[in-house]
Amino acid sequence: MQNPHPGLPEIEYIKPASLEEASKFLAAHAGEARPFLGGTDTFVRLRDGAWKDKYLVDVKGLDGTAQVSFDPEKGLTIGAGVAMNRVEAMPEVREHYPLLAEAIRTVASYQLRNRATIVGNICNASPAGDTIGACMLYGGVLKVFGADGVREEPLDTFFKGPGKTNLKPGDIALSLTLPLPPRGHVGRYIKVARNKLGDLAIVGVSVLAYPDATLASGYRFLIALASVAPVPLRVPAAEKVLAEKTIDEATIAEAAQIAMDSCSPIDDVRGSAQYRKLMVRNMTRRALTEVWQKLTQAA
Amino acid sequence: MAILGQSVQRVDALGKVTGKTLYPGDLNFPNQVYMKVYFARRPHARIVSIDTSAAEQHPGVLAVFTAKDVPVNEYGLGIFDQPVLCGPGSSKPYADRVRFVGDQVALVVAETEEIATHARDLIKVVYEDLPVVDDPLEAMQENATLLHPDRGSNILTKYRIRKGDVEKAFSTADVIVEGEYITPVQEHVFLQPEAGVGLIDEEGRVTVYVAGQWAHKDQEQIAHALGLPLEQVRVIYPAIGGAFGGREDMSVQIILALAAWRLHQRGIDRPVKIVWSREESIIGHHKRHPYRIRTRWGATKEGKIVAAEVELIADSGAYAYTSPKVLGNATLMCTGPYEIPNVKVDSYAVYTNNIPNGAFRGFGGPQAAFAAEMQVNKLAEKLGMDPVELRMRNILREGSVLSVGTPIPKGVSIEKVLAECALKAGWQKTEMGWKAPDIQSIDPKYPHLRRGIGIACAFKNVGFSFGAPEQCWATVELIGKAEIETVRVYHAGADCGQGAHTVFAQIAAETLGVPMEKIELIVSDTATTLNSGSASASRMTFMAGNAIKGAAELALENWNNEERPAKGTYQYRPPKTTPYDPETGKSEPNFAYGYVAEAAEVLVDTETGQIEVNRFVCADDVGKAVNPQQVIGQIEGAVVQALGYTLMENFIQKDAVPLTTTLSTYLIPTILDIPEKVESIVVEQPDPIGPYGARGMGEMPYMAVAPAVCTAVKMATGVWIDEFPLTPERILDALGELEEEGEA
Repeated sequence: MQNPHPGLPEIEYIKPASLEEASKFLAAHAGEARPFLGGTDTFVRLRDGAWKDKYLVDVKGLDGTAQVSFDPEKGLTIGAGVAMNRVEAMPEVREHYPLLAEAIRTVASYQLRNRATIVGNICNASPAGDTIGACMLYGGVLKVFGADGVREEPLDTFFKGPGKTNLKPGDIALSLTLPLPPRGHVGRYIKVARNKLGDLAIVGVSVLAYPDATLASGYRFLIALASVAPVPLRVPAAEKVLAEKTIDEATIAEAAQIAMDSCSPIDDVRGSAQYRKLMVRNMTRRALTEVWQKLTQAA
Repeated sequence: MAILGQSVQRVDALGKVTGKTLYPGDLNFPNQVYMKVYFARRPHARIVSIDTSAAEQHPGVLAVFTAKDVPVNEYGLGIFDQPVLCGPGSSKPYADRVRFVGDQVALVVAETEEIATHARDLIKVVYEDLPVVDDPLEAMQENATLLHPDRGSNILTKYRIRKGDVEKAFSTADVIVEGEYITPVQEHVFLQPEAGVGLIDEEGRVTVYVAGQWAHKDQEQIAHALGLPLEQVRVIYPAIGGAFGGREDMSVQIILALAAWRLHQRGIDRPVKIVWSREESIIGHHKRHPYRIRTRWGATKEGKIVAAEVELIADSGAYAYTSPKVLGNATLMCTGPYEIPNVKVDSYAVYTNNIPNGAFRGFGGPQAAFAAEMQVNKLAEKLGMDPVELRMRNILREGSVLSVGTPIPKGVSIEKVLAECALKAGWQKTEMGWKAPDIQSIDPKYPHLRRGIGIACAFKNVGFSFGAPEQCWATVELIGKAEIETVRVYHAGADCGQGAHTVFAQIAAETLGVPMEKIELIVSDTATTLNSGSASASRMTFMAGNAIKGAAELALENWNNEERPAKGTYQYRPPKTTPYDPETGKSEPNFAYGYVAEAAEVLVDTETGQIEVNRFVCADDVGKAVNPQQVIGQIEGAVVQALGYTLMENFIQKDAVPLTTTLSTYLIPTILDIPEKVESIVVEQPDPIGPYGARGMGEMPYMAVAPAVCTAVKMATGVWIDEFPLTPERILDALGELEEEGEA
């Protein structure tokens, strides 16, 4: 077994003056330097010896990373350094992106959310990330500064594996933009964990739905799953069923079953793969049912 | 003025809430150095060699100590079977072996903690791995690998009870219930991980500041390992951040003393400080014993329990710790607080390479009570009789004869306690007998949610059992001229956070008729106080209370005889107890008991397997609530800790290697995971020999939680689950949900 008190290794803290400087440093020290936002995962991993970086490059405060803004046309833009609690407390977020607010409230503890960031949660690329599902379903796009300038990374194609993303050495995520959600949308995040405060998700189910007259069912349903695959998982096959068939108990059950069949969870100390699969089915069904009830109440 | 029975402000309240109180890890001395431990981190191996040269040469390192530096390389609470440091060159045979992951191999002392940590990682240990024994049943086999070859067997302790004729009685029983119960390991998770400072005091004594539960026993064990006379060792307890039994055995005590002493011998007089991380704490101290209990009970259709047969197997882990005593308790309590004419018990504590198991609130009682109370509830179901009614027909009363063939000491109140709990929980006493509340298990609006209620009760000894020497000293000094101005109470007893010191002051004030403000406490220092025994076995209020009352009365007598200052020193010795007869178990096990009954209402989500405890009732006879607020605090704390044990806490060891060594993998209940309110019923039926009638009570509310909850879950779901923690997965598995999915 590993050393019970690894201790935090010596790390050099770098505070660059510009994005260019930060990017250059990160590229020049690939494999031993990483961008640093809230640090809530970073310090734990460094202390445990899981990460061996020598440099932490503090990118908070560089060119817009400290701002969060809402524009009725363009939507919500969350700077990389903005703490989760600040996002959750915004009236515009609670009004227009309630699923994100709900997901944020399930992350660790209030104290930790004073430091943790949404963009950090995304770049960390843990399959268990609670806010990632909501950001994906809202159509989130990351703005990334890299060697070739600024580019956009849609979240749907951003994740490659646990801890692995499209980001390359020298890349710095600047902000996340969530476009204005469709009218009448309803969301729900159900997190199954071993306790009610602080645990990681054994399974997380995000559902977002809104009326869409172009679809046979009259509604568009979006589903994202946490902790059941190497990456945060969308379930297009289940979404398709919900777009094409009349929404009722049987359709919801069918979609939930598809969600279960499409995931590939692992066993760990928090739960077995078998339990996770069952939870995907039961909680997808529960989330879809609750969302459906709200949609029909509104209509 | 009646200070007794008042929720007076705790003597430690102001210091703790303002942050002024110093715990062992907060202590800093000028010129101090820091120590890190090299832990074995493998479950079973012989150490071939240790190379400390790189660590010793590392700049900033003062010393590296190994087995060859320990004068008498053994320790233990009763059985000296554990090396202080494992490795070659030891003064004791087989001390070159590591037997669990937390065995200590080397100590590094350095100028800073960082240097010590770094140098610790430069130590090279060559191991020769030995076969790992992680299952007590395997360990009991004849050909099993021996943990302690000099002992000839992995069976550390066994007891037996033979009362009446069990087989004959079973043949007269109308119903028989058989069960096999498995209880889990539990980690204490006290707030303050092990820490302390070792130094040579102004009188040349090897002195250790540490959090423990019995200062004089720590002193004894340190002196033994260092080969020093007792008076050359001093142990001081600053504030203690929780204990729950987890500080009964040595952790950092001996190594702090060893380091300070060896440095001193090299002409270096610098205090040595150590603070364990949570991960070090989790592998470094013992856990609650897991038990496998196979049992068979028989009753007549009139509801008379006629026979109980029990086999208990406890995993002791790598060393004895308090296993023999914990097993002794479980052996007595596995037949519950009932008078059963025919009893047969065989019990075993067995060495394995798992983390040692030892003292933890309840001390074997909760495991035994789980089996006993589940059996009674199953018998009630099978008889079609209310579970409270069945209990009332068999419960211990004044004069009842225990399974060990002797009458229970006077002051038996379990009948009253059970009745109060049952009434509060919704039971009714009718002409037809006790009747359970009508709870609908299914709510048609939410068909996936199921509701149930369960009840259980238990008894637990107060004080040391089975012939263990039991005593407690106190000294009270009265200072003043015409009237008493100051009262000095000298007492070694540990305040682990339970509020013992406040109780000490209250009992002194009450006995002397002076206000609390006049009491000055001189506590928990072997240089100024006499042996109090441990803060365990729910004994501190009872034992210290009697000792302080006795000392205060003596001092008052001397005061009235014009002695100034007037001093009284008193040793309280309770009635003698006797050990189990090896063949029949006949004994006088205890001098006092506390009694508890508990009821739980649960809501089970059959889609997730998650359980909510909506309501919890606990009735506990405390004899006399010296400080009612503290009593309620103990009840609520014990219930919450036991709910964690029952529902959530899942300590996983694979091949004797723990997988849950952090608080993110080993979870305990948070504020959101516990019932909104624990309904505490404080019963006060005086103990005939308790101070002002007080009984011990710190463990009792822990005792019957698991069986109450498991029975409530049975009522909710229709399934008996005989193993906990009741993780959601275990619930769904019991409901057949996981199986179904496996096939799909």
